[in-house]
Amino acid sequence: MYRVTFVDADGQARELTANEGQSVMSVAVANGIDQILAECGGSCACGTCHCYVDETWTERLPAPDDSEQGMIECLMSPTERSRLSCQLKMTAALDGLVVHLPREQY
Amino acid sequence: MASATPKASVSGTAFEPLSTAFAQNPYPAYAALREKGEPQFFPDFGMWLVTRFDDVAGIARDNSMVRSPEFFMSHEEIEAEKRAQNWHDMPHHSRFVQFSMLDSDGEVHDRLRKQVFREFTPAFIARQRGMIQSFVDKLVDGLIDKGEIDFVEDLAAQVPGHIIGRVLGVPDEDCPQLRVWSENVVKFFDIDRNDERKATAEKATTEFYHYLQKLMAERRAAPQDDLITRLIAAQDAGHLNEDELVSTCMLILMAGHGSTIDVLGSGMHALLRFPDQMERLRQDPGLIHTTIQEMFRFESPLPFFHRYSTADCVVGGKAFPRGTKFGLLYGAANRDPTAFGDDAGSFDVGRNPNRHLAFGGGAHFCLGNHLARLDMEVIFTTLIKRLKSISLDEAEPQYKPGLSVRGPKALRLTLAPA
Repeated sequence: MYRVTFVDADGQARELTANEGQSVMSVAVANGIDQILAECGGSCACGTCHCYVDETWTERLPAPDDSEQGMIECLMSPTERSRLSCQLKMTAALDGLVVHLPREQY
Repeated sequence: MASATPKASVSGTAFEPLSTAFAQNPYPAYAALREKGEPQFFPDFGMWLVTRFDDVAGIARDNSMVRSPEFFMSHEEIEAEKRAQNWHDMPHHSRFVQFSMLDSDGEVHDRLRKQVFREFTPAFIARQRGMIQSFVDKLVDGLIDKGEIDFVEDLAAQVPGHIIGRVLGVPDEDCPQLRVWSENVVKFFDIDRNDERKATAEKATTEFYHYLQKLMAERRAAPQDDLITRLIAAQDAGHLNEDELVSTCMLILMAGHGSTIDVLGSGMHALLRFPDQMERLRQDPGLIHTTIQEMFRFESPLPFFHRYSTADCVVGGKAFPRGTKFGLLYGAANRDPTAFGDDAGSFDVGRNPNRHLAFGGGAHFCLGNHLARLDMEVIFTTLIKRLKSISLDEAEPQYKPGLSVRGPKALRLTLAPA
């Protein structure tokens, strides 16, 4: 089990547990993190699971692939820390990951 | 040929998707299917109907469940299946409608979707807000003077087609003709298909194709800042061929017409059926996003899609072999109490979270969802701001028959300006 922390737009933090290989999106959906809409269910097709990776973690994540990068560029308010949480899979290397949530997905 | 009162028996339960009773209220029939637990066989279509939220979501999001049977059927088997469904001998329909991004999977689907997806993402769609607002303002100006309107024909049907037309690059004056072609092509998808509709669908596809050929030639000669010009550039770069280009334009135009018109109509009807919810939205216009989300859940405008399994699978506790055809009833899944609680049958403009399946799921998740939502947001926000009251002038509006679409045929309203 790994830990992942979600910080909402008002600064409220919630630490949750994740299984090996589980996406950050599915951790959020399973635990009632309502800011992650994840409408397409994790196919990189809707852009409604946007999160901002905490700056202490940006260097440690694998880079987005072409389809994720293409979607990120077309989100509302993207930054260099933007990721689609459906594409972030939990591993030992990401244990303790912190992500920030946008106020709205679109 | 469909009989006058067609019936289909689902494992002994009367399920009459072409009946007037079903058109007016399909939800008791959906609940009965859901309560059976496992998928139910629908002999008219040779498919298993799936109605529970978890089962429908699971199939829609599963990449081993595909739209096209070509992954496991030979060309001859597919042709035989088309003949059995009366889909054969339609050269243009076969070339541009039966083949599409929606009915492709894997590499072909992903390549075609990649050519158009940027244009439909939140940031790109947000740029259309001013254009949509000024278009809607002009329409509403005329309707307020009229006082009594058919909301479906006079407003809902006038907006989405024009907006998608402008995104693609179709001149405003051609939009009414595109709507007729779209409707004539789409009607053939429903379960009550017959030879007359088949001829109409093929004729509409042919005329639509000739129209797009002419428009493409114009854009080649004089490029514009529109999607069709960018698709022509993608064709020149070798990303898609001309048939794929035509098919993709047709799909975008057709998808952008009917379903948004239907959910605008059923959404307005829901606000009028539940005046406390209309009042809640009036008091707090910030609820518009959850309101629209709820309109899609409550009356999903495209309630029925199919998938084929490419591997042996288990759905709803029952084992199915590779090549099984499943009918996903989004309209039933979106009223499932196990997903939406005991009030799944209530219309709640503040419902959140509301992870419904009206836009489908997985790789085929509705490309135009953000544009549909923006059209609806502008229309409902404008009406609520500019009208003191909206009242329904008929006791029970008639809904379109069939399993594939859901929306009122007409919605007669009286408008009182603020």
